[in-house]
Amino acid sequence: MELADTLRPDGDPKGGVLAHLERLETRMHRSRKKLEEPQTVQAEESALVTEIQKLRRLRDKLRAEVKRRQAGVKASTANVEPDQTWEITEQEVLERKWENLKAILQAYRFTGLSGKLTSRGVCVCISTAFEGNLLDSYFMDLIVQKPLRIHRHSVPVFIPLEELSAKYLETNIQHFLFTLCEYLNAYSGRKYQADRLQSDFAAFLAGPLQRNSLCNLLSFTYKVEPRGQSFPLCARLLYKDLTRTLPTDVTVTYQGMDALSTSWEEQRASQENLFRTKPLHHVFTSFARKGEMLDMSLVS
Amino acid sequence: MTEKSIKKVLQRHRLSGNCHMITFQLEFQILEIQNKKSLSSVITDLNIIMEPTEYSELSEFVSRAEERRDLFMFFRSLRFFVEWCEYRKRTFKHFKEKYPEAVHLAEGAASSCMGVRSASQPGFEVVIVWRIQIDDEGKVLPKLDLLTQVPQRVLELDKNRVIETAPLGFRNLLGVLGIEATLESLIKLLCTEEHARSRH
Repeated sequence: MELADTLRPDGDPKGGVLAHLERLETRMHRSRKKLEEPQTVQAEESALVTEIQKLRRLRDKLRAEVKRRQAGVKASTANVEPDQTWEITEQEVLERKWENLKAILQAYRFTGLSGKLTSRGVCVCISTAFEGNLLDSYFMDLIVQKPLRIHRHSVPVFIPLEELSAKYLETNIQHFLFTLCEYLNAYSGRKYQADRLQSDFAAFLAGPLQRNSLCNLLSFTYKVEPRGQSFPLCARLLYKDLTRTLPTDVTVTYQGMDALSTSWEEQRASQENLFRTKPLHHVFTSFARKGEMLDMSLVS
Repeated sequence: MTEKSIKKVLQRHRLSGNCHMITFQLEFQILEIQNKKSLSSVITDLNIIMEPTEYSELSEFVSRAEERRDLFMFFRSLRFFVEWCEYRKRTFKHFKEKYPEAVHLAEGAASSCMGVRSASQPGFEVVIVWRIQIDDEGKVLPKLDLLTQVPQRVLELDKNRVIETAPLGFRNLLGVLGIEATLESLIKLLCTEEHARSRH
């Protein structure tokens, strides 16, 4: 009858039934699936839970490993630490040595001769003093080369530096430096005495103090009493030995008088002796003191 | 009258050290006064302790340095003094080695006396006294003197007064030849060449 018609591909009414069946089937599959979903979810859930547990176990394992390694490192650093502290102590020792060295170098300034290293050699500093009064310092830059030479210096021109360096610089540098010290200290001392005479005892001078730059030739006219009736005296002091602060030649004369009575001659000679044996400003201090004693005796 | 501001600083220092065989310890004070126009530094106190104390020339020098508070002069003079001491020691040692029989060092090379006797003329001896003095200003100078020791009979025979004038002659010779040459010529004069051991 009409059954064969359903097998015809282009027959919609016939296809309708199959299609309908198909649809029903699909629907059934879907609903079955829906029924199955919680289970798969559950299965998935459990799978995830297993996974989580697995990961947790792995995490704990890794944590333990990290801890173990950390402990291991700590143990090894604990062995290293004593070495580190030993290094620090060595460093401390070096620092202390360095400080000590610096202090010693500073202390050398008090010997009057000190120095510090420069890029090309040594810079020597010579300090001068007279009777405990610290005076000028002079420096000298030495270049350590063959031959040893002086690069710059603050030594005054009238100090025989060239002469000294020609004689001793190459052969005996210590002798050179100490001799230069002698010259500079003596010059400083002479200068100090002359300055003190001019500043402190101007009242005793009847005219200006004549002096040369080396301060080894002094000429002045003075009175034993500043405001007295005493005769003016002319003094000429020559310091031939440049390493000394006392004059080698002293000439004292009464101004304008050639022939002297014995008492005056005695006085003149004693004055000469004073200048020869005592520093210049001390001589005038003794004059001042004598004057004071005289005043005292007048008053009493 | 306004009081100008003056700053005073007192420094105290202690130094110890040595110069060859001499050790020293110093304590000193420096007073720095700063007023408006200048800064002055003055050593206000100086105490020096030195070892060894057998160099008698040094004790006088030390007290003078302390009195004058001359710190730099102390170091400078000490340095030159030690230099001279070392030179004296070397020179005496050299002559002792060169003329072992003739030269006689009573206290060793560090002594200040060197005796010279002639092996062939016993009883005839000269002593060279070499002192190292530090003068008032701290200048270090060697001072050599000759002492003679001869039998009485020799003095009686000495018509030209050679022995008497020997010390003066020695000092003159020093001025002409210097220390080493003078000592050498004196030793050579007193002993025959065969006693000398030649040294190169």
